[in-house]
Amino acid sequence: MLRVGIPRALSYYQYYPGWKAFFEALGAEMVVSPPTNKAIFTAGNSRAVAETCLPVKLFFGHVISLADKCDYTFIPVLRSLGKKAYYCSKFIGLPDMTRALVPECPPVLDPEIDLNKGRRSLYRIIYDLGRHFSSDESKIKKAVEQAEKAHLAYRKEMSDRKITPIQALDEMHKDEGKSYLEPDISPSLSVAVIGHQYVIYDDYINHRLISRLQAMGVRVLTPEMAEQKALDIAMTKLRGAPHWSFEADIIGAGEYYLGEKVDGIISVAVFGCGPDSMMIDMVRHRASEFRIPFLHLSLDEHTSEGGLVTRLEAFLDMIKRKRRVCA
Amino acid sequence: MRVGIPHCGNAYIIAEALVQKLGNGENELIVPPPTSHRTLDLGVKYSPVEACLPFKLTLGNLIEACELGADTLIHARGTGVCRLGYYVKEQEQIIRDLGYDAHFLTLDVSQHKFRSIIRLMKDLTNDAPWPKIISALRFAMGKLFALDKIEKVVHKVRAVELEKGRANQIYREAVKAIGEAKTVGEVKSASKEYIKKLNHVPKDPTADPVKVGIVGEVYVVLDPFANMDIEMELGKLGVEVERTMSLSRWVKYSLFLNYLGIDEWKEVHEAAMPYLKRDVGGDGWESVGEKVVYAREGYDGLVHLAPFTCMPEIVAQNIMPSTKEDIPVLTVLYDEQMARPGMITRLEAFVDLLMFRRKRRGT
Repeated sequence: MLRVGIPRALSYYQYYPGWKAFFEALGAEMVVSPPTNKAIFTAGNSRAVAETCLPVKLFFGHVISLADKCDYTFIPVLRSLGKKAYYCSKFIGLPDMTRALVPECPPVLDPEIDLNKGRRSLYRIIYDLGRHFSSDESKIKKAVEQAEKAHLAYRKEMSDRKITPIQALDEMHKDEGKSYLEPDISPSLSVAVIGHQYVIYDDYINHRLISRLQAMGVRVLTPEMAEQKALDIAMTKLRGAPHWSFEADIIGAGEYYLGEKVDGIISVAVFGCGPDSMMIDMVRHRASEFRIPFLHLSLDEHTSEGGLVTRLEAFLDMIKRKRRVCA
Repeated sequence: MRVGIPHCGNAYIIAEALVQKLGNGENELIVPPPTSHRTLDLGVKYSPVEACLPFKLTLGNLIEACELGADTLIHARGTGVCRLGYYVKEQEQIIRDLGYDAHFLTLDVSQHKFRSIIRLMKDLTNDAPWPKIISALRFAMGKLFALDKIEKVVHKVRAVELEKGRANQIYREAVKAIGEAKTVGEVKSASKEYIKKLNHVPKDPTADPVKVGIVGEVYVVLDPFANMDIEMELGKLGVEVERTMSLSRWVKYSLFLNYLGIDEWKEVHEAAMPYLKRDVGGDGWESVGEKVVYAREGYDGLVHLAPFTCMPEIVAQNIMPSTKEDIPVLTVLYDEQMARPGMITRLEAFVDLLMFRRKRRGT
């Protein structure tokens, strides 16, 4: 059986269930790299140019950890997943950067997904991808259908049950039987955490931000806990057609949760993120118009746990004080 | 309308020439003062902290134009993966927050370039007749071509002149003379005159200058304030620089040749193929391809310029070291914290390295 390696980084958090359904329907075995650890962090950091953003460095670390465990590495090129809305350059350069920086990496499968090129081109690209595993066209078609179903179910599961991708994926990995604890809705404060999935759900780089907030008695809301449609509407109303494919997850989520009157917003971005440098400012602007407290955390390789905790505590204290004063 | 524009190298000369020929009617062109430290300070003060340098500098230019009374601002816009596509959205908001009542006209620099240029010109001239627009364009482009042609000569002369600084002085005079020229004929004769002057600058006959290619993100490559006159500084160190990218080349291809199916970067993209298979936005693909081309042509080294945190250029920077065609690359990243002496020290070390390599290869 052919083994397909999937780095647990970047778009993994958004699309893994769909990919898994696709490859498994074609009879391939999935190998996912372990959650980010120190070895992955160090390996990735040592290969990439210093200016590269942390999540992309980690991506290379994950690829390195998979190098001798799979026959193919799956690195899709996400160019555009929406009309004239694009991904960041680094997502598009990923396979080529991987070949340059991780020469020991097994052959890379790099289908280029660009929805602006129309359906036909998309079909051809997916068919070409599927042909590595099966020459039966109807089997590939069925795999695509299953992938789509799995992806939509995954997205719905998160917004219906208000769980994070990590929880949803954990459940999937653990098969049947064990269900995740329903979120505790007793906490008095609700805080929206806004950012790219690969930042807010990678516990290694954000120092367990979400569970830390939950332990501090906060109900955490993330972009995935809202319906995709609601995010799209919130974003379009504010900013018109998006320029980035993930604009709805940042600006849309910010706007949506501001409208839901959360107690505070925490935006999390990595240092040097191009799209975020522009988008976060917009959320900040809107938060000040809504008079809702806003905290921006910029993370990099050197972010210390202590500093982060202090800032979170101060932020929550401020929210609580504001409540007291306003009450 | 009082129209303000941002700076990028000599681009303002085209705008001035167009206005001069088309007459401005009710429109007035406001060229903000040359980019200065004040421009940078303004840009830095009002931009998001992590925005890239071109964003900050052009924002500073536009604020300075607003201070002079501009109510319409022109800016480039790209529909691609780079941040440029977001500039206008963000800058519009910032300028409005500062209390200026100005709206933006955009010039699309990635797709539909021709249509976008023509539409912009029609907007600005209240629908001037076609022949008039075409003759104005010809005049403006004449200036641009003349300037870029002179610049190419300057790059060569700087490296070998006996009295350092002479070529720069002539270049400055040439920019002034061409800026002031009133007819196509005057532009041509000025261009000829200054090229002759440059050719007569006393040169070191024994000099065999190190040759370096310049690649990178278009704004920092073309704007001398943004790149801290890197070409001049290299010239002072006795280096002959070559760069493919120029404003005149861009205009020439976007207005005509692209529509005949001629792609100016075809050869460069093909050279990049084994290492980078696709466009990553901005100028990243071209940077990788040009490295390969320059290496094949026997250049001694490459200077790669980019704004700090520039996404496409980071991709290029990650890929460049692994190309089989191997020449030394110095990547210089620009932001508002950067100081000129630091850059010069790095250039000196780089040039030393190139000379050493040459000597070793010679023996």
